[in-house]
Amino acid sequence: MPCERKPLRFAHCEGHTEVCFDDHGKFIVTCGSDGDVRIWESLDDDEPKFITVGDKAYSLALKNNKLVTASSNNTVQIHTFPDGDPDGILTRFTTNATHVTFNCSGSRVAAGSSDFLVKVVEVSDSSQQKTLRGHEAPVLSVTFDPKDDFLASSSCDGSVVVWNIEEQTQVISWPLLQKTNDVSGANSLCRLAWQPRRAKFLAVPVETKVVLYERGSWDHVITLSDDLLTQPVNVVAWSPCGQFLAAGCVGGLLTLWDVNSQLCVERQKHEKGFTVCSLAWNPSGSQIVYSDTMGCLGLLDGLSLSSSSTSTSTSTSTSTSTSTSTSAPKPTAAKKPAKEYDDLFDDDDDDRLMDEGLSDTNSPLKKHVAGDEDDDDDDFLMPATGRVRNRGAILDDENSLDTGSLKLGPGKFGDDDEDASGAIVPVSAPVLPLRPVYDGPMPTPPQKAFQSGSTPAHLTHRFMMWNSVGIVRGYNDEQDNAIDVEFHDTAVHHAMHLTNSLSHSMADLSQEAVLLACSSTDELASKLQCLHFSSWDTNKEWMVDLPKGEEAKAVCLGQSWAAVATSSLILRLFSIGGLQREIFSLPGPVVCMSAHGEQLLIVYHRATGFDGEQALGVQLLQLGGRRRQVISGEPLPLTHRSYLSWLGFSAEGTPCFVDSDGIVRMLNRSLGNTWTPVCNTRDTCKSRSDHYWVVGVHENPQQLRCIPCKGSKYPPTLPRPAVAVLPFKLPLCQTSTEKGQMEEQFWRSVLFHNHYSFLSSSGYETDEDGQSKSLKEQQELLMKMFALSCKLEREFRCVELAEMMTHNAATLAIRYASRSRRMALAQRLSEIVLEKANQIQEEEPEEPESSSIRRNSGYDQSEAAAGHHSPTRGEQEEEEEEEQEQERGGELCEEGDQQEMETEEPTGNRKRFNPFAKESVSSVTPSLTPINKAGRANPFKVLGSGKPSAPPGQTRVTNILDNMTSSRKAAPHAGSAGKANKGPVLKPLAPRPKSKAQSTLLQMTGSKTTSKKTRDSSEPTAQQQKQQEAPPPASSADNTENKRPKTGFQLWLDDNRKSILADHPDMEAETDVIKEAMGRFRTLSADERLSWTERAKGLTGEAADLKKRKRATGEGEDGVDHENGATEADENSAKKKKSLDPSSKLSAFAFNKK
Amino acid sequence: MDPLEVEFLAEKETVKIIPNFSLDKIYLIGGDLGPFNPGLPVDVPVWLALNLKQRQKCRIVPPEWMDVDKLEETRDLERKEDTFTPAPSPYYMELTKLLLNHASDNIPKADEIRTLVKDIWDTRIAKLRLSADSFISQQEAHAQLDNLTLMEINTIRTFLLDSLNCMYKLRSNLQPASSKGQYADF
Repeated sequence: MPCERKPLRFAHCEGHTEVCFDDHGKFIVTCGSDGDVRIWESLDDDEPKFITVGDKAYSLALKNNKLVTASSNNTVQIHTFPDGDPDGILTRFTTNATHVTFNCSGSRVAAGSSDFLVKVVEVSDSSQQKTLRGHEAPVLSVTFDPKDDFLASSSCDGSVVVWNIEEQTQVISWPLLQKTNDVSGANSLCRLAWQPRRAKFLAVPVETKVVLYERGSWDHVITLSDDLLTQPVNVVAWSPCGQFLAAGCVGGLLTLWDVNSQLCVERQKHEKGFTVCSLAWNPSGSQIVYSDTMGCLGLLDGLSLSSSSTSTSTSTSTSTSTSTSTSAPKPTAAKKPAKEYDDLFDDDDDDRLMDEGLSDTNSPLKKHVAGDEDDDDDDFLMPATGRVRNRGAILDDENSLDTGSLKLGPGKFGDDDEDASGAIVPVSAPVLPLRPVYDGPMPTPPQKAFQSGSTPAHLTHRFMMWNSVGIVRGYNDEQDNAIDVEFHDTAVHHAMHLTNSLSHSMADLSQEAVLLACSSTDELASKLQCLHFSSWDTNKEWMVDLPKGEEAKAVCLGQSWAAVATSSLILRLFSIGGLQREIFSLPGPVVCMSAHGEQLLIVYHRATGFDGEQALGVQLLQLGGRRRQVISGEPLPLTHRSYLSWLGFSAEGTPCFVDSDGIVRMLNRSLGNTWTPVCNTRDTCKSRSDHYWVVGVHENPQQLRCIPCKGSKYPPTLPRPAVAVLPFKLPLCQTSTEKGQMEEQFWRSVLFHNHYSFLSSSGYETDEDGQSKSLKEQQELLMKMFALSCKLEREFRCVELAEMMTHNAATLAIRYASRSRRMALAQRLSEIVLEKANQIQEEEPEEPESSSIRRNSGYDQSEAAAGHHSPTRGEQEEEEEEEQEQERGGELCEEGDQQEMETEEPTGNRKRFNPFAKESVSSVTPSLTPINKAGRANPFKVLGSGKPSAPPGQTRVTNILDNMTSSRKAAPHAGSAGKANKGPVLKPLAPRPKSKAQSTLLQMTGSKTTSKKTRDSSEPTAQQQKQQEAPPPASSADNTENKRPKTGFQLWLDDNRKSILADHPDMEAETDVIKEAMGRFRTLSADERLSWTERAKGLTGEAADLKKRKRATGEGEDGVDHENGATEADENSAKKKKSLDPSSKLSAFAFNKK
Repeated sequence: MDPLEVEFLAEKETVKIIPNFSLDKIYLIGGDLGPFNPGLPVDVPVWLALNLKQRQKCRIVPPEWMDVDKLEETRDLERKEDTFTPAPSPYYMELTKLLLNHASDNIPKADEIRTLVKDIWDTRIAKLRLSADSFISQQEAHAQLDNLTLMEINTIRTFLLDSLNCMYKLRSNLQPASSKGQYADF
C-alpha cells in the first residue's frame, strides 16, 4: 500500500503524547506532557490552537465536539472542541488516569487509572459511573466494544480483561503481558483496539505481535506478525473500515496489516526511530497520524486502501488459518463484487450485520465440505448469493441476531469469512461518497492582509510593528489594552504608552508619526489614527473615519504622507498632517503595503492561487515630484507553496520581500525590475522549526537584520528579542569553490550597488564614498577572477571578464596577461580595451558628466588594482590618462595647428614627468622616462599624419582593419615568441613593433581626435622628430615584440646595424643608432626602400630565418641594450607609457615617403 | 593586587549592547568602536557599556554564559569535579557583579544568576582553600592549579604567600642549625 511519510514536526515537549483526529478528519488533536492540547489544521500548521488542560496531559479522546483529557490533577475533564472551554470534570481518581476513550456513539467515556480502576462514565451525566475493579496494577489502556456491551482493558499486572459493562464483571481475562509496577515501567503501552463496525475482533498487542481475539468466543483467532517487528508493539489502531490494522512499535516501526489476508501491507520506519506511543486513523481512512515519546508528530498520507483489495484477494489462497481449525478470512475475487453490490444497497451497518447472522447458518455446511482451499472458495459463492436471497426475509433487530450468532458456536467460523470479506466493502462504499468529485488542483485560501513587521493579531502580547525606526507593541489582556511605542533612536522621540480604547490592530511607525488603524465594530466605523509627533504645532494627533462598510486592511507611512488600503479595494492617501490626498483603486485585495520616502509598494491578490500557491501582484508607485508607476501589477515571484511574510524597502530604498520559506528577494532595478533572491534565512537555521523574523534590510553595509526565533516563526515580546545580522548570499552555483565565491561576491556587489544610481536619479544625494568603494570592490573582484581564470588557463573566460571591467581595470588585466606571458590573451584584451576607449569617447561629447564619472570610477578602480600590483603604477596611469585627455582637449581646440601642437607637447611631457619625479619609488630609471613620455605623446600626431585627409569614418575603418590584420599576423608568431621569451637575455635591439594592445588603443584615440585635422606642410618634420623619439621605448619594450611583423626599415636596420656600429663605435644609446640608421635609410633609393618594405611583408614566411639573424645581432648588441634591459620589466608592465607604436609609425613613414 | 584593579581589568571585556542612539565609529586608543546604530547590537567594552547604560543610552545584552541553564550546568559540574573546571568567563565574578549592579533590568532572571554565580564562586573558593590546606599539610614544594581566574588567584594570594612565609620561618626555626639564627634575632 503506497503512502507518503510526511516529515516529522515537534508538537510537544519530550514525554508521552497522544494524538487523534476530530470526527471529520479536519483537525489533528494532540496532547503531551506539557499539559497542552493542540489543535492542528494540518501537519504544517505553525500556529496550532492550544488548550491548556493541566500540568501534564496523559491521554485524550475526542468525539461529538467534546474533548476528554486525563490530566495530572487526577481528573478526567471535558473541554468543548474546538473552542477549548472547560466543560466540567467527568470523574476523579486517586491518581492520574492513564487512558481515556469514548465509546462508539460518544455517550460514554471509559478511563483507566493508575489506581487499578477502570471507570465508565456517562458523558451527559457524570454521576452515572460504573467502576470496574479487578486489576491488580495500574491500567494501561481501555477500549469499548463498538456494540457497547463489553469493555477491554489491559493492565500492568499482565492481564488483558474483557468486562461486561452492565454487570461490571470480568468476562474473560488473559495473562498476556509482562508484569510491572507502573505504566512507566511497562515495555509496551498495550493500547487495545476493537474492530470498528463489525466489532468482530479485539486487537491486543503482545510483545512483537498483535493478537486478535474474537468477540463472543474470546478465542485467539489471528496473530499478526512481521519479520521486521523486533520490538514490542506499543499501540494498535483499526482503520475506519475495519479491514486494516496499524501498529506502532517501540523502535518506531509502523506496520499496517490487512486483517483478511493477515499480510503486512505497509511498513514505515519512524524517521528518528523514536517510540511511537499513539496512532490514529483519519476517519476518511487515507491518513494515519502518529506521535512519539519525544513529542514529535508525524503523518502517513495517501493510504489508498482500496488498491490493496486486489492484493488481498490474490493472497487468499495462500493464507493459512490461524489457531482455529477453519480457514479464516478467505474472500475470493468472485465474492467481492457480490459483496460490493450488496453494499450499494445496504451501507447501513445494521443490515449487514443481519446478513452476517444469516449466513452463519450456512457456514457449518461449508465447514464440512471444505476439504481444500479451492473447494472452499467455490463454496463461498453460495453464501454470497444466499445472502441476497435471505436479506429480505430477516427483519429481526440487530441485537437479537448478534446474540444468536454468538450462541451458534461452530457456525462462527463461517461468520469469520463473511465478516472478513464484508470488511473490505466499506472501504469502497462509505469512503467514496466522502471523496470530492473534483480531483484537480484546489484553490489556495488567499493570504490575509498583514502589516509587515508585525506578529499575528490573535496574540495577546504582540509586535504591531518592528521596523528600522522603532517598535510598536500591542497588549490586549485582562488588565490592559494598550499600545507601547518605542524608538530605537531615542533622539527621534521618547517612548509612548497609549491606551488602546479603539482596539487598533494595525500600526506603522516612521520618523514623523505613528499611524494606527482599527477595523469597524457594530457601532463604530473603521478608523485611522495618526500621532503626528513631529508636528510643530500643538495638535499632534488626527483621526479619520473610513466610510461605512469600508475597512482598513493595511496602512503605511511614507515621508510626509500616509496610505491606507481598504476592503473596498481603494487606496487612500493622506498627508501626514491629515489632509486627504489622492485616492485610487487597487487591482485586488491588498496583502501588504510598505513605503519608503516617496515610494509606495503594494502587494495584492492578483487571482486565486492553486495548490498552495498564492497569486500575488505587486505595484510600485513613485509619489514624489515625478509621479509614476514604476511596477504596474506584475506577479510577485514567491517560492513554491509559500506566502508573503515580509514586505519592505531596504534602508536605501530598494524594495525587498521575504516569503514564508525564508527567501529574501530584492528588486533589481538594473535588470528591468526583476526580483533577485539575495538570502535564504532558512539556511542559517539550526533546526527545521527555527525561523528568522526579518526586521530590516540594509544595502550598505550589506545587512539583513532579523530576529532569530527558536521553534517559531515570530518572536515573543518577552524576553525582549535581540536583533541579529545575517549576511546576504546570492544562490549562485558552486559557491564552495573560489570561483563561485568570487562570482557571488561580484554579483552581489553589483546588485547592492544599484541603489546609488536609483538615488541619484531620483535626486537624493548619494554616498560617493560608498559608491566608489563598491565600484572598487567590484573591479577588485573582477581582477581576482581574471587572475584565477588565467591560472586555470581559461583564457576565453578571461576575455569575458575583461569585458565586464572598466577601461582601467582592463588595461591592468592586459598587463597581468602579458606578464604571465599570455600573449594571445593580451592581444584580445587589447581589442576590448580599444572598444571601451571608443565607447568612452563616444559618450564624452554627449555626456561629459557621465564620462567624468567614468573616469572617477576608473580612478578608484586603478587604485583598487594597485592593491595587487604596484600602487604607484595605478596612480601614474591615472594621471597619465588625465594628461592624455587634457592633451586631446588641447588638440581639439587647436585643430589643424600642428605647430602649436608641437610646442605644446613638451609641456605635456614636462607635466607628465612630474609624477615620476615625485614617485621615485617607481623603479623607472630617470633616463628612460623622458623618452617614454615622448613616446606616449606622439601617437596622436603620428596617426594623424599617417592618414592624411582621411574622412573620420574611413579613418576608423582602416584602424580597425589594421588592428585585425595585425592580430592575425601576431597569431602564428605566438608560438615561437613564447620560446624566444624563455631566453632571458634576448632583448630586442632594433625598434620593434610594440605590443599591439597599447598601440592600437592609442591609434584609435589618436585618429579619432585628430581625424578632423588638416595636415600642413610641417608634418614631415614632426614625423621625423617623432621617429627620433620613438624608437627608444620600443627598444626597451619586452620580448613580446619579437613576434611583431617588421617594417622595411627595421629589416634594413637589422641588416645594417653592424655596419652602423662599426662606423660609429662611440654610439652608446640606441636612439643614436637609430637616428643614424634612419638617416642612412632615407638615403636609399625609393626602389630599394620599397623592396625592404616588401620583404617585411613577406616576413612571415622567413620568420625563422630572421629570428636567427635577430638573435645573432641581439647577442652582439647586448652591451648596447644593457641599461634598457635593466628596467625592462618595469617598462613591460607600464603599458600606457609605451603607448607609441613604432611599427605603425614607421610604416606610416614608409608610406609617406612612397 | 586590589580587587578593584582586577575589576578594572575586567572592564576591558566586551559585551553586546543595543544602543538607542546613532553614532559613527569612534576611534580610541584601545581600538575602534561602533558604528552605533539604534536597535542594532554592537560590541563594546564593559566600561563603555556601563557608562552608556547609566546614561540610559543603551540596553545591555547579557553575555552568552550569563544564562540560568548554562550556569546551573557549570555549577553542577564544578560541584562534581574535584579540580577546577573552566570558569564560564575569565572575569565571571567581576562581570556578574558589574552587570547585575548596573543593568539588572536588562538581564532576565538576574537574581537567579546572582545566586548561581555566587554558588560557583563559593564552590571554587572552597576548593581553593582545600587545595591550599593540603598543599601546606603535605608540605609540597609546588602545586598546579588550572583554570583559576584572576580574581580567585588574587583572593588567595596575600593570605597564602604570607602564611607560607610565616611557616617557612617557623619551620626553619625548628631545625637545630637555625637555633643560632634565633639568637641572632634577639
